[in-house]
Amino acid sequence: MIEIILLVSSVLFIFALKLFGRPSTAHRANTFAMLAMALAVFSAFNFDFSKYDSAFYITIVISGLLGVLISKRVQMTQMPELVGLFNGFGGGASGAIAYVELSGNSLPLSDVFVAIFSMVIGVFTFSGSLVAVMKLRGKLSNFNKKLADIFSVFLPTIIVIPAVLEMDDLLIEFIILVALIAGIIRVAVIGGADMPVVIAFLNSLSGIAAMSAGFIVNSIILIVAGALVGASGIILTLLMCAAMNRTLLDVLKGGFGGTAINNEYEKDPISTSPEDVAIQLSYAESVVIVPGYGMAVAQAQAAVKELTNTLKDKNIEVKFAIHPVAGRMPGHMNVLLAEVDIDYEDMFTLEDINSEFSSTDVVIVLGANDVVNPLARTDEDSPIYGMPILDVDLAKQVIVIKRSMSPGYAGIANPLFINDNAKMLFADAKEGLENIIKSFELV
Amino acid sequence: MEATFLLTLLITFLASFIGYELISKIPQTLHTPLMSGSNAISGITLIAAILIYPEVGESQILKIIVLIAIAFATLNIVGGFSVTGRILEMFKKND
Repeated sequence: MIEIILLVSSVLFIFALKLFGRPSTAHRANTFAMLAMALAVFSAFNFDFSKYDSAFYITIVISGLLGVLISKRVQMTQMPELVGLFNGFGGGASGAIAYVELSGNSLPLSDVFVAIFSMVIGVFTFSGSLVAVMKLRGKLSNFNKKLADIFSVFLPTIIVIPAVLEMDDLLIEFIILVALIAGIIRVAVIGGADMPVVIAFLNSLSGIAAMSAGFIVNSIILIVAGALVGASGIILTLLMCAAMNRTLLDVLKGGFGGTAINNEYEKDPISTSPEDVAIQLSYAESVVIVPGYGMAVAQAQAAVKELTNTLKDKNIEVKFAIHPVAGRMPGHMNVLLAEVDIDYEDMFTLEDINSEFSSTDVVIVLGANDVVNPLARTDEDSPIYGMPILDVDLAKQVIVIKRSMSPGYAGIANPLFINDNAKMLFADAKEGLENIIKSFELV
Repeated sequence: MEATFLLTLLITFLASFIGYELISKIPQTLHTPLMSGSNAISGITLIAAILIYPEVGESQILKIIVLIAIAFATLNIVGGFSVTGRILEMFKKND
């Protein structure tokens, strides 16, 4: 009976992933996955609910309610932090289970290795995710990379301490300590804009930790579900890396960006006003909006929607060009736009829209920088050379809404800003858009 | 015993392969809900906690650690699915 329940659960998990393939069926995918999860968890009890005391049930109920509460309250712009936080919990749970298995039972030797592996990955995911959350909240600046590198080399030697002190029974605790510190240091050296890769990578690790926990307790469903999560995380990690033309190793080494390398401009940019932008837009037939992290920071989604409506009322075509690493997690911009009811049919990927820029009348760059920097195509010495970018400089006119000329994450000047076809509207993303909308009423 | 282990490895491989094939087809628009959804699934480690909880024996410390694992995993599952549902609801409206 249990076997049949587990079989159904596995099939439901796989079917859920299949349904996830299209926006129109994706909400059903979530229902399927929830059902699969419920069946899997139910099967673990093996129809014997009396084995569990009240502490067990109280813990489940309270943490479940807490989960619902958190998920209902969080804002869409905080989604990367939330995913990071839950991810850390998942990893921490797997790590804790592996620890209990290691210290409680006498496991066969092969299981000991799997358990240590699961524990290290789980604990690393836990501390790494918590640091990632703090980074996303801007509560933590970049850790000194040199110091971190030196520390990383010496870190593994900590595990010989219990042997030296003749306290062999503390070995497991010291391994945990090393994994904990390793997670903190590794993520602490990585800059904020690389967080899409980090979050996806940690997501993958939490799946791998769960999968190896499945090997210890001999649970096939745990292995299957863990493997699915691991695969999903790896795919997203590699996609994000490809979108920056960097390797995973290079991202994890850290130390990229965050400091201005070169922010000199040959000439002053042309500055524009909300009124002029409104006039410019009203003569356009096609407009492409390129959102970036600046849109999320300024909470400008609602203003984007309002501008889109205004333009569409004037029969102007509006599209959104979304770079894979725009924002702080994969698909971050898409979610923010969906939140304000922008149709996903109007959101385009880099591959789909790049050929259209040359025939676009006006491009609005909203809080994006490095992902529209033409140096990625032209300057072989640039740190972003070779990165696939949105070719907005090829459009007829470009309006960049940005607070100042300060560089983006890569720390380099963006020649787009002084291009002949480009004008700068110096403003916060939300405020800038609202002023443009107001000006429309006067045009 | 040997055969079971090989079978388990085979299952692991097949699951990873199916996962890779299906997830590769998911469009960029859905990458955030995919992450939060798969994140929720990683809380399935709750099963391991349920399986070992009755077997931890006398040690109060180990029991508390398993309870922490249960709390973490439950938060991960319930919170993860709930927030994924919220995100996907926004995409549904656009139909």
